[in-house]
Amino acid sequence: MSSRTGRSSMRSAAWRISLWATLAFACGTLLVFVFLHRFVADDIQRRSDAWLSGEVEVLGDVAERTPRNALYDRVVGEVAELAGKEVPNKVLGESSSNDSVFFLQTGTDGSLRLWVGAGDGAANLRAIKAGNIDPDRPADLHVFGFAVPFRVASIRIDDGSRIYLGLSERDELRVLRSFRDLFFFLWLLIVLLGFGIVFLTTRRVLSHIRRITEAASGIGHSDLNTRVPTSKRNDEIAHLALTLNRMLDRIESSMRQLHTITDSLAHDLRSPLTAIRGKLEMALSAESHVEQIEPIVSVIEELDRLTDFLNMSLDVAEAKADALRLTRTYIDLDELFRSMIDLYEPSMSEMGLQIRLQSAGPLDVDADAASIHRMVANIFDNELKHLPAGCTVEIQLRAEEGFAKLIVEDNGTGFDPAVSAHLFERRVKGRDSNGHGLGLAFIDAVARAHGGAVTATNRETGGAQIIVSLPLANSGALRNEREALPHSTDAQSD
Amino acid sequence: MRLLLVEDELEIQDFLRRSLEESGFQVDAASDGKTAERRAIEEHYDILIVDLGLPDQDGISLILRLRQLGVKAPVLILSARRSVDDRVRGLEQGGDDYLTKPFALAELLARLRNLLKRNSPAATEATRLTVLDLELDLLRREASRGGEILQLTPQEFVLLEYFCRNAGRVVTRSMILDKVWGMRIQPDTNVVDVHVYRLRGKVDGKGQQPLIRTMRGVGYVLKDR
Repeated sequence: MSSRTGRSSMRSAAWRISLWATLAFACGTLLVFVFLHRFVADDIQRRSDAWLSGEVEVLGDVAERTPRNALYDRVVGEVAELAGKEVPNKVLGESSSNDSVFFLQTGTDGSLRLWVGAGDGAANLRAIKAGNIDPDRPADLHVFGFAVPFRVASIRIDDGSRIYLGLSERDELRVLRSFRDLFFFLWLLIVLLGFGIVFLTTRRVLSHIRRITEAASGIGHSDLNTRVPTSKRNDEIAHLALTLNRMLDRIESSMRQLHTITDSLAHDLRSPLTAIRGKLEMALSAESHVEQIEPIVSVIEELDRLTDFLNMSLDVAEAKADALRLTRTYIDLDELFRSMIDLYEPSMSEMGLQIRLQSAGPLDVDADAASIHRMVANIFDNELKHLPAGCTVEIQLRAEEGFAKLIVEDNGTGFDPAVSAHLFERRVKGRDSNGHGLGLAFIDAVARAHGGAVTATNRETGGAQIIVSLPLANSGALRNEREALPHSTDAQSD
Repeated sequence: MRLLLVEDELEIQDFLRRSLEESGFQVDAASDGKTAERRAIEEHYDILIVDLGLPDQDGISLILRLRQLGVKAPVLILSARRSVDDRVRGLEQGGDDYLTKPFALAELLARLRNLLKRNSPAATEATRLTVLDLELDLLRREASRGGEILQLTPQEFVLLEYFCRNAGRVVTRSMILDKVWGMRIQPDTNVVDVHVYRLRGKVDGKGQQPLIRTMRGVGYVLKDR
């Protein structure tokens, strides 16, 4: 059961809906995060640029005021080193060796005059010379040997030399990376949460729809009492259920009307038929002459045929309207055919006919016993009446794709080609037939009422073939339940 | 035999009353449920015929009410309806019988007699059935006539058993189909007759008194006298 639910939920539209919703949601939140990231990155850069511009100005000022003597390098170098310790976004716990900041002063000829920072500054100088540093605004500088670029601000002092202050973007990038990691983690969490919520909600809604569908598909063939489940909520689904139920109410009431009509028609015709038949029989029992008996007997026989015709045409009419009343019980077709053959075999062998059954064992259908009995008797009666002596009737029973197939074949003359296109219509019969032409229409009607079908064809090798398929009873539980009920064979009166 | 006929269609009531009286029943008739109830309580009847479509109430409700009031006589239910009510099936299981309109008088009489006999205390659980010189061993599924074992198929044995249980009473073709094959069908071919001919060929040998008699247009009877 659980595997079935699992499979059906995989097939459910809930997956599709939640996947699309999640995709849209993920894209939206990603866009928001990208903007946020950009804003934060810009802000960090603006701060470090402000710091750089401020510091380089201070340093320029110091360099200008410091007299050009032996102490110049030391004074300016120390001020530069101090400045490097107040770097913004600096990661705490970093070692004192400061490679994130450099200070560089070039002489008027562009040669390296003063250097404070890791290494000898030659690579930095080369990069500065190669690059085009804007004197007013801080810019990126890629230095050979460093993976991360520097942000460099410069200022020109009065003696014609130039001061460069560089700040590695390493710390800035590290801050951004941890920010991105946090964003990604949050994004994943939100998206997963969103997916979960959307999936659960749609699945709840859809499961309600599925319950309605299941209930609705169970309703139909002559079972119109049940209704689809309704909920107390006042949403679209509740409306759907209510609308379906109202529709079923209307169908049920027209079905009931049809039953009332056919029933009262049957009743109104049967009562006078009963009286007529009774009176004729009384006339028979009175001492009457032989020449009077014969016509009375034949009238009684005609009357019986009329009754039979009335019953069958009402059944066919109801079945065509999907309104045949069925009292379903569990029936083993194998057992049924064996006892039917048992019943018909002597008559068939009297007529020089053979009958054979091929069956692979029990074949359970959930059907109306009386209708099925009459249907099978109808097929057998037809064979008995129409087959010439020496013919064989072969019956095969087998289960095929959820259906019980009853294949009845003979090697007689087959159906009259003149009527074979309209075999299932009422009142269609072969030229030599003396029946009322309802036989096949009745077989078809019964099969349809049970959710099955009938085909009737002439075989290429000669003879007729009738294939009746009826839905198989689907579970063992049904069988047990039916067997617990007292056995009854008559569900429909004749 | 006293019989209460509950039927609202006067024409049907009339011919039924006449033919039942001809057949030796003492018939009282009622046209509605109320009258029927009063009569059934005041008088003692051996058997009842009840039509389901009464003007004042449903025939089944009447039968159930009569049963509550202690009326034990068997009921033959008549109906012009097309579908059989579940409650009718319940009554059938309780020993009552059911017949749809229109019916053959002979069928009605056969079923009435059958109901009356069925209701009288009899040794139904016997392991042997004996009718004249015909003997059936129900445990060994063996039949013999005049001490000679009959070679019967299992189905023929069931048919003969049914005849023996109803010895001296007419059984109709539809009764045989119903009780022996468990089917309520009305074949328009002679399937039942062929079975009976074959059985008769085995039971009534040459020089023996024929036991299975055909009642023309009605059915068969196994002679018990």
